[in-house]
Amino acid sequence: MVNELLNMASSDAGKMILGLIGVLAFVVINALMLTWAERKVAGHMQRRIGPKEVGPFGLIQPIADAIKLLGKEILTPARVDKPLYRLAPILIFVPVLVSFIVIPFDASLQVTDINVGILVILAFSSISVLSILMAGWGSENKYSLIGAIRSVAQNIAYEIPLLLALLPVIMLANSLSLKDIVEKQQGLWFVFIQPVAFIIYFIASVAETNRTPFDLPEAESELVAGYHTEYSGMRFALFFLAEYTNMFIVSAVATTFFLGGYQGPVLPGIVWFLLKSYFLVFVIIWLRWTYPRVRFDQLLNFAWKGMIPLAFLNLIITGGLLKI
Amino acid sequence: MISGFIKGTASLIAGLGVTIKAFFQPVVTSQYPRELLTISPRFRGHTRLLPDPENPEKNKCTACGICVKSCPSGSIKKVEGEKKEGEKKKTATEYLLDFTTCSQCGICVEVCPFDALDFSHNYNSAGYRREDFHYDLVKELKRTKVQ
Amino acid sequence: MSHITEEIKTSIQGVEPAEVSYPEKGYHYALEASLENLPDIVRFFDKKCFYLECLLCTDYTDTLELVYLFNTHLAPCRFKVTLKIDPQRPIAPSMSAIFDSAYWYEREIHEFYGVLFTGHPNMTYLFLHNDIHEYPLRKGKVPVPPEDKERLDSFKPGEQEDSFFINLGPQHPSTHGVLRVVLKMDGEYIEQAEPVLGYLHRMHEKMAENRSYQQFLPNTGRMDYLGPMSFNLGYVLAVERLCGIPVPERAKFVRIIATELNRICSHLLWLGAYLADLGALTPFLFVFDDREKIQDVLEGITGSRLTYCYFRFGGLYNDVDDPFIEGTKAVVKRMWSRFSLYEKLVTGNVIFINRTKGIGTITKEQARKYGVAGPVLRSAGIACDLRKVEPYSGYDELEVSFPVGEHGDALNTYKIRIAEMENSLRIIEQALAKLPGGPFMAEKVPKKLKPPRGDIYQVVETPRGELGIYIVSDESDRPVRMKWRVPSFSNLMIFPELTKGALLADAVAILGSLDLVIPEIDR
Repeated sequence: MVNELLNMASSDAGKMILGLIGVLAFVVINALMLTWAERKVAGHMQRRIGPKEVGPFGLIQPIADAIKLLGKEILTPARVDKPLYRLAPILIFVPVLVSFIVIPFDASLQVTDINVGILVILAFSSISVLSILMAGWGSENKYSLIGAIRSVAQNIAYEIPLLLALLPVIMLANSLSLKDIVEKQQGLWFVFIQPVAFIIYFIASVAETNRTPFDLPEAESELVAGYHTEYSGMRFALFFLAEYTNMFIVSAVATTFFLGGYQGPVLPGIVWFLLKSYFLVFVIIWLRWTYPRVRFDQLLNFAWKGMIPLAFLNLIITGGLLKI
Repeated sequence: MISGFIKGTASLIAGLGVTIKAFFQPVVTSQYPRELLTISPRFRGHTRLLPDPENPEKNKCTACGICVKSCPSGSIKKVEGEKKEGEKKKTATEYLLDFTTCSQCGICVEVCPFDALDFSHNYNSAGYRREDFHYDLVKELKRTKVQ
Repeated sequence: MSHITEEIKTSIQGVEPAEVSYPEKGYHYALEASLENLPDIVRFFDKKCFYLECLLCTDYTDTLELVYLFNTHLAPCRFKVTLKIDPQRPIAPSMSAIFDSAYWYEREIHEFYGVLFTGHPNMTYLFLHNDIHEYPLRKGKVPVPPEDKERLDSFKPGEQEDSFFINLGPQHPSTHGVLRVVLKMDGEYIEQAEPVLGYLHRMHEKMAENRSYQQFLPNTGRMDYLGPMSFNLGYVLAVERLCGIPVPERAKFVRIIATELNRICSHLLWLGAYLADLGALTPFLFVFDDREKIQDVLEGITGSRLTYCYFRFGGLYNDVDDPFIEGTKAVVKRMWSRFSLYEKLVTGNVIFINRTKGIGTITKEQARKYGVAGPVLRSAGIACDLRKVEPYSGYDELEVSFPVGEHGDALNTYKIRIAEMENSLRIIEQALAKLPGGPFMAEKVPKKLKPPRGDIYQVVETPRGELGIYIVSDESDRPVRMKWRVPSFSNLMIFPELTKGALLADAVAILGSLDLVIPEIDR
């Protein structure tokens, strides 16, 4: 009986199912722990302790928050567009889950190695824009609508430099598959060959995840809470968890493309991968608690007039140098 | 334009330096209620009656009623006193203070001709009902003397 | 100054300005106007570059008196123009076409006294609402006639077809206070902004008429709870001047130190709240760290941390002790080292500069017409700080300097407030060095204050600008009228002008740079 189970598990389909379960578990734990990490890091940067009462160092705080949110009344305002309103929080979580399938945590720890891996990630992250628009429109609320419109414009504007920054790496590695890109960084990480692309990718990804300094869609002081004003309880929690998971995804992609993925001496690959990804997540949190918000037209100007020409220039130079 | 770009980037990195330095510095908050702070001597809690130094069983208040008239919010509701045998002045037997409307201005402490009032250091009183903050200062004095 | 009186006598018929004693009254000239020559008088002052400091109304039961106070910025020359109106038919011409600052003053007088200003474009509710059936500040019950009620209640946004109205507030996560601004939007751009006030209205001016002078002291701290020392100081100085009570030197210097410490606290809080509005939440916590140290020092002498009631007529409530002096020196030393932190984190930050440069630019002419005050005035380029121009309570014995800006935009106002914090530290150091011994309270202060008949206008410089207190006394122990001319009122008046055609994010930046505290507007 046990032998049969082991046989099933080591088959291809079995591996994929185990991988999916692992990914789901990782996503949930990651999202919960990132809320704790953000509050702790924010606290210490502001010379105070973050959560400390619930559990040692406040580690059980996210569980307490989750229980509280689950216990809240699920309030649906009367005039909302019910299908859109209810579908939006679910739809925002789906793309990030799909993106996890192609990320190589270790040489053998990848759910499936699709040979157009990065295309899958980029395509599905565009769907999250759709769900933000659904949330803003369906809420029948002026503030949500303004927040959603800002978010759509911002995401569309910053997807282009994101893609343009990844293209030089793809050209260098000669493949779209994430595993190949990591393998090609054996001797030298791509960040040393393409520092400009790394910076552009990082800034564009901070804008994609709607984090300060680019968090106008959720600008608290201006618009109450932007596109998730009308959400309460677990639906609100889903928006938040999706944001944190998105943060991890973009850091993981940055690690894979620029920082050598799971490669590193002594420690097992997955530890290196997680260390590098979480370091980038820390930098994203660090940016949030240091800078004020960029104004909306300055944000779009920065994307269209600053980042995109620079990324194009970088691409052309890389292409030229590769040919020589 | 290039110099503006460089200056801008330098300012952003300087800002990051400030927060990361603060990240490693000790916290400046104190963990109340697990660690209590010292109260400054002039802290203004609710008022309290002062005991008579010659006869600690009595309080200095003679129920003249000047504080009742001076209070801007009308928080001092009633002061009753009685004159015991062989004494020159009355002593307060009941001093009703409604602390929910008191603004701790100190006018009652200042105008009292017998210096019978002072501020207490009670900073963390809590209660379930409004009546928990209707103090009788004579009773409060007896209670705190026992402690 | 006297050439102005000569000119006004020759240019307008029937006007006789009388010179009054400035140390007793707080203004230099008084003149009586009539309904016919009031517009000419006001136009004359506009031509001579005066600004309308305050417009108030007093109810003397048998007559209503409108008082217009005109002043110049650089060399104080205060004219008090009075106009008597019949209380049965209270009508006066509106001056809002000449001086924009009269726009809201007249609305306020209309809803509190029932005076109708002809020619005013918008006589709707400013503070009150349609459940009030009598004019509040009139002595005796004067009901609101139905046509006036209809006129007052006619502001109804949201009933227009093709406009998009949005509310900024009244609850919002910045600490201005409870302010609601109705914005008429065109996409992301603001077409028109209309502030709606009155959410924090507690009728302090009516309370002043029903309490004795001493009983009103705690109210002064509640009006502006971020800079209560200056409000306390202004009130105490006004009553002392009215009654002629001398203040000992020690009390004067302690008052200066306490007020300047409070000014630093107020500017620090403004800094934190402004950056929280713009999205950076970390400086808010750093600012509170600094404020706590200052509040500990002030708690050592006053016993309170936020709403102080420390000054008394003739001096202080109790004397300062050595821990206060040591504590103040330590606080000053610590504050000097904190400015570089804010410089690196905020002032030099390119995102912050882009958010505030060129936003909400105020010209000198606008500043004069709207009567703005404080750092906003100085950033527009007008070098007027009342601690230097009209010194009070010992400031004339210290060296007071103040920064003046050029552009009048939000970044300039920010830099001026930071420089003002540094100047406050220097003033505190000077005052500590000069602190004399001696009594802290004047000797013969009557228990029941009954000031002589007359009026007085006392100005002080609060962290937000010029505070004016106008007290009318009729020898009883309660004032007949006490009017508080608060700086945030005039500063908020310029907000709709500045946000025409601005983005919503800019509106928030402008609102923050004006440093408004709504409780003092609403009183």
